Amino acid sequence: MLLNRKSYLYQMIKSELTWIVGDDYVQSDDAEKLGHSIDYYWVPEVWHDRGQKLTGPDFIVHPKTAEEVSKILQVANTHKIPVTPWGGGAGSQGGALPIYGGIALDTKRMNKVLNIDPISMTVTAETGIIAQHLEWEVNKAGFSTMHFPASIACSTLGGFIAHRGTGVLSTKYGKIEDMITSMEVVTPTGDIINTLPVPRHASGPDLAQLFLGSEGTLGVVTKATMKIHPIPESRKFHAFLFSNMHDGLEAGAKIMTSRLNPSVIRLYDNPETAKLIKRVLGIDRVGSYLVFGFDGPEEVVDIQLEKACKICSEHGIEDLGTESGQVWWDNRYKFYYPPYMFQLPQAFGTLDTVADFSHIEAVYHAMHDAVKEQYPKAAYIGHFSHWYDWGCMLYARFIIEQPPQDPEEAVALYNRIWDAAIRAAIANGGVINEHHGVGLKLGRMMRDLHGPAFKVLEGIKKTLDPNNIMNPGKLGFSGY
Amino acid sequence: MNMDKHLDVINACRYCFMCRHLAPLALVTGKETDTPRGRALIADQIRMNKENLKNQDYVQALYQADLSGACRTHCVSSYDEVGLVLELRKDIVDAGVQPQPVKDFAQQFINPSFTITGEGDVLYFNHPCIKVHAPEMKTAFDKLAPKHKTIEGNDCGTALQILGYQKQADEAAEKFVKAVKESGCKTLVVPQPAAFHFIKSKNLLPDVKVLNTAEFLLTLDIPKKSGTLWPIDSDFLKNYQKNNAPRKLLEKLGYKLKEFGITHEESYTCGEGSMTMVFLYPENVAKLVERVREFAERYEAGTLVVASPYTKLALRTYAPELDVISVEEAAAR
Repeated sequence: MLLNRKSYLYQMIKSELTWIVGDDYVQSDDAEKLGHSIDYYWVPEVWHDRGQKLTGPDFIVHPKTAEEVSKILQVANTHKIPVTPWGGGAGSQGGALPIYGGIALDTKRMNKVLNIDPISMTVTAETGIIAQHLEWEVNKAGFSTMHFPASIACSTLGGFIAHRGTGVLSTKYGKIEDMITSMEVVTPTGDIINTLPVPRHASGPDLAQLFLGSEGTLGVVTKATMKIHPIPESRKFHAFLFSNMHDGLEAGAKIMTSRLNPSVIRLYDNPETAKLIKRVLGIDRVGSYLVFGFDGPEEVVDIQLEKACKICSEHGIEDLGTESGQVWWDNRYKFYYPPYMFQLPQAFGTLDTVADFSHIEAVYHAMHDAVKEQYPKAAYIGHFSHWYDWGCMLYARFIIEQPPQDPEEAVALYNRIWDAAIRAAIANGGVINEHHGVGLKLGRMMRDLHGPAFKVLEGIKKTLDPNNIMNPGKLGFSGY
Repeated sequence: MNMDKHLDVINACRYCFMCRHLAPLALVTGKETDTPRGRALIADQIRMNKENLKNQDYVQALYQADLSGACRTHCVSSYDEVGLVLELRKDIVDAGVQPQPVKDFAQQFINPSFTITGEGDVLYFNHPCIKVHAPEMKTAFDKLAPKHKTIEGNDCGTALQILGYQKQADEAAEKFVKAVKESGCKTLVVPQPAAFHFIKSKNLLPDVKVLNTAEFLLTLDIPKKSGTLWPIDSDFLKNYQKNNAPRKLLEKLGYKLKEFGITHEESYTCGEGSMTMVFLYPENVAKLVERVREFAERYEAGTLVVASPYTKLALRTYAPELDVISVEEAAAR
């Protein structure tokens, strides 16, 4: 859309938005537009780095309430302006980029904890709250959300809901879609609706699950209630070094299928063990580093830990002990800070996917081969970071130390690798993504993944958002 | 350009989000430009094209920065985003494109003069922020340590340096140092944390023992107190100097301290790190104070105790209903 800033229509729309949220909370200056034109997606980063023109919003609007969100969406419908919700802006898939201009609807002023219910053990909060703040506030009341994603410091609750995010302890406590109990949503036409606030129901399909993962294409989630947990009496970790990743995968799967209920298992392949485990944790070994943890009453944790250790010991392992496991836990966020995290001029991408235990290893190798076929010099590393009853998630990454200097060539190469790797994952039993979402980056593959079922999603989108104002061009839905 | 010494910071911070939860101003405005990432992106634009230094949207964003240092303290690699902003302000001033309110405000600190009064071996720096806005801090200090000399007249260059006026800051510091030396005192008490950091970090007075008020009061024999206080740490003491003296003093005096807000990492100083926000961008300070007021109400905080006259001024101006005292007043009770 990109309105002409000097047109009177631009000023008319700005006046309408200002009337809703107040002078201080509508911006259109260069500095704020810049900040909202780059998220954590590598493509806008390289575009910026190489001095290319970025696409930003026409207006950045910061509503305080669901009612204000509703009014903003009504203005957007009147003028047929795209609206892109923006939380922490730390998404890696380009989901929050206002690629067609219009309104960036920044949710961070909706950041209050509204209620902590110690009887039902839930917390209700506005969705612009940063996850770490939510955790701190819940801690003050003696509880924990048990949601510890790498981006806890920078992503909002709404951001996690938008793309079905996950935290380190997902194996025991679930992904965000397991944690959320109910939500308030402003639909694209401005209705404020609520999903059912009960643990389970048989009152029709679960609307909450429709909006979880909708990435701002079906509305704006403004409030959410989620489970909270007591602070565990004990939390213990243990680490092992397997001679190869295959054995580590077998052991991890057996821990899960034995229903030992770990809070976390993480298995790093040999290349990532050599690269990142050495660099971040200082553990310099050849092999596959595996760490797991349990939490709860101490005597229960000790039994679980002992049984899990026994499963690992059935393979040729080096026992790195509890201390090495604790070091990993203490440094779990360090991986994502500069200079430990990959950064330009490197080209890098997290090819995260998920499959059942029968297929996950094949997915790992298929993606590896696809990356190497496209760009033999690319490094391919990975770890298996979220484990479930019948499968696990693969957090694979490709890294190119010196991508082409020309931004168009660099992006073309980048997209080619993504296309090949993700299509290889799908062909071998994986999916597009496990917890970073689809966004702009992977939308083109949604139709292939879902087949005729994608028409169902398109139908829902069209019904809820007849003017296609909500985050167009994302999640595989049509552009503006 | 001055900013060039922090190119590593630009590269590290421009696409990094990992400290935004501790960017005080961004937490109340929601603006990306109020985060270290937002400012590093602006710096990167200027790095790529020097003409961008004249963009007043960028200049305003750089002058609105809270400079709390909380993000730098949190960063596992301690990237100095505060240093980057301060160097960028020097470049802005060198180019003569600083906002007019900044120009006007800076004038009062240029070419200062200092006077010394009183008798004693200890010299107390009656900084203008205390003399004009929080004289009760000096009154409390006088009660605890009546025998001392006082130096006053103006700031010692701190504000000028923070605003990007490096040459004028150096000149002011030189005059201040000369006056201190002429006093003959070997101990200087600096109750203004920003000035304390300025003097310490530049090592302006290598032959003088420079102490903040709490450090000095720790050396005195002060009667024990009782009661509960909620400390709000100073940005300059906690994040810049890693100095924990105010809490140590309050604990030594017998006060029970309760953690204010939701985390020790967050800055609740209402823009103290900027030193000038309450004068130049009062609308932002009002928002920062509102967050403090909300936390005070939600967590039923009683008396807040602050180490900085700046924070006291901000809270008194925008939340007069809050009970706020300084460390000095807590000691003199």
